[in-house]
Amino acid sequence: MSRNPEEPVFNQIEAIRTSRGLSRQALADLVGVHYQTIGYLERGEYSPSLVLALRIAKALNTEVSELFSLTEPKKGKK
Amino acid sequence: MSQKNKIYWSLGVTEKGTRALLTDENSKFKWLRSQRNRRVLVVLNMLGIVLVSLGSYFPTLTTTLNLSTETELLVFSVTAIVVIFLTLLGYSFLRVAVRGIADAPDELLDERQVQIRNTSYRDAYLAMGYLVLALLLLMFFGPELQMFQSDGNDGSYLVIATLFAFAAAPSMILAWREKDI
Repeated sequence: MSRNPEEPVFNQIEAIRTSRGLSRQALADLVGVHYQTIGYLERGEYSPSLVLALRIAKALNTEVSELFSLTEPKKGKK
Repeated sequence: MSQKNKIYWSLGVTEKGTRALLTDENSKFKWLRSQRNRRVLVVLNMLGIVLVSLGSYFPTLTTTLNLSTETELLVFSVTAIVVIFLTLLGYSFLRVAVRGIADAPDELLDERQVQIRNTSYRDAYLAMGYLVLALLLLMFFGPELQMFQSDGNDGSYLVIATLFAFAAAPSMILAWREKDI
């Protein structure tokens, strides 16, 4: 069964990244992607592979489950 | 310390050249990367390809203009050279506008870039299928072509235009579709 491409995946990348004082470019360099890709991820326009999700979580010193969810996260949660 | 510049022969690109396009190392082409400007480039490229393909039907067109043979040849040659040069120039700009993603090897791209490149190739393959179908219909029902003959309709310009279209289609699709590149 394939996932519906329209099904949104919510993420907290931007909130956690800014709380860590990292720019998009800095996070992109840490995880080895183009800075535009970080923008796509933050806007929810691209869902990462498991490897990239794990790399982002490691770079932001958090858990994948804290970063991504299928339901909209509550406001103010970081 | 000088690092060796790897050449990807099958793709016709170098590592340094591709990296320079992928990063914002050269900011003088940044203006090309807005979606509006990329779409203008796509339209210009398509126009160039159509004009090159019309070269195959130029002899028929000039016959109706009543020009002398020398003038016909001169007008035809100069126009063909200018149109082909401008189309190649447009294609070069298009490649820069999409950061050369369409021609870059996997190892220099991230996973999103690989995904959009692969999708653009799949769609380009479909589009080229329709183009070839259109060309076949043109050859069957359009003005008669006499391939590589100086008199009559020389089909070689249709071949050149098709090759241009095949080369540029993935970049054109990327340039048109992507919001940020």
